[in-house]
Order: sequence, then C-alpha cells, then structure tokens
Amino acid sequence: MQPNYGTPPNNYLVWAILTTILCCLPFGIVSIIKAAEVNSKWAGGDITGAYASSAAAKKWAIVSAGVSAGVIAIYFLFGVTMGVNSSF
Amino acid sequence: MTPTVHARLTRAAPYWGPIAVGVAALCAATVVAAVDPHEAGHYPTCPSLFVTGFWCPGCGSLRALHNLAHGDVMGALGMNVLVVIAVPFLIWRWGSWLGETLGRPSQRRLAPPWAIWLLLAGIVAFTVGRNIPVLGPLLAP
Repeated sequence: MQPNYGTPPNNYLVWAILTTILCCLPFGIVSIIKAAEVNSKWAGGDITGAYASSAAAKKWAIVSAGVSAGVIAIYFLFGVTMGVNSSF
Repeated sequence: MTPTVHARLTRAAPYWGPIAVGVAALCAATVVAAVDPHEAGHYPTCPSLFVTGFWCPGCGSLRALHNLAHGDVMGALGMNVLVVIAVPFLIWRWGSWLGETLGRPSQRRLAPPWAIWLLLAGIVAFTVGRNIPVLGPLLAP
C-alpha cells in the first residue's frame, strides 16, 4: 500500500549499497538503516520523519564518500605496498 | 565543480550526469577487468579488513567484479555474493536515472519497508557468516 502524499523523498539506497560493497566501511550499514527508515516512515504516514531520514541518509552518503576519498588519499600517500595481500 | 557550472550543464543537457557516471563506471570496470585483483599487491587491502582483521561485507568485491567482467559468475559468487546481486540493481537504477534525464516521466515509488530491512538483515548475516568458521569457507573471499 502506497499512501498518496506526493513524491516520496529519496532514500539514497544506491549510495548505501555502493558504500557497503565498494568502500568497505561500516557507514554503508548506517546508510541502509536510514534508507529503511525513509520507507518505513513514509509507509506509516510520517511524512516529516521520512524527509528527516532522507536528509540523514544524504548526510551519511556524503560522509562515506568523503571518508572513502580520505582513505584512498592515505593509501596514495603511504603507497599501495601496504596492500601486500590484496583483499579488496 | 562549482554549483554554477553544474547547474548550467544540468540545464543544457540533463543526461550528462548519467552519461558521465556510466563512462566512469565502464573505465573502472575495464581497469578491474585488466588488472587482476586476485594478484596480491595490485590493489590496496580493504581498509576495514586491514584495521579490524575481519571480513567486511565488501571484501572480495573487486575480485567479484573482475570475475563478472570475465563472465565467471560462479567465481564471482564465491568472492562476494552481494556484488553479484547488487550489479544488476545498480545497472537498473542507472537506466532509470538516464531515462528520467531523457524526459521519461519519473516513477519514484518507495519499495516496501520490509524489503530494505530484509536487505539489512541479509547484509548483517552475510558479514557475520563470512567471519565464522562454519560458513567462512563458503562466504569469505
């Protein structure tokens, strides 16, 4: 059942999945929780809450992108030799 | 990129975003297909694994992508099941995004909440499973 309150907010699930499987950081889990909250609150009629969770999901997507960029920068600074047993 | 440039590009040709992302993804896939992540030292170790010593839900994703790029679905499943499930989903979302920028009406509907909670439970179970001795050989890369 999809209540009709207009366009639902973005749950940024694509970002959550990308973070989880590519960035290898626990932020992906937080992002998926926020995405699930968007859908749960929207389905329950909590429009304000759904938009708040959407904003939180976006924030975590940006945080994880920033941290990932930082980690990659650190790898480049210290050299990739650290990864002697490739395990990505 | 400044917001002004971004806004101007988006207005002039809204499809530049998905096109750019698609080209970048193809370039990345080509690199991962050509430079074998199964070979030690080609890519850095997953930071989560490096710090904690535990397999994270993304460990083995580069090797799974490499296997997929070479058509080896079974090999990819052995490296990271999540990647094999996620790639078709990501391609589908990318296709919808491209379609919307080309003027197809937006059809944003939210999935039923249980589907995302189930996904979360699945990822957590996968992460635990690949770190315990019984399921490790099956789920760990």
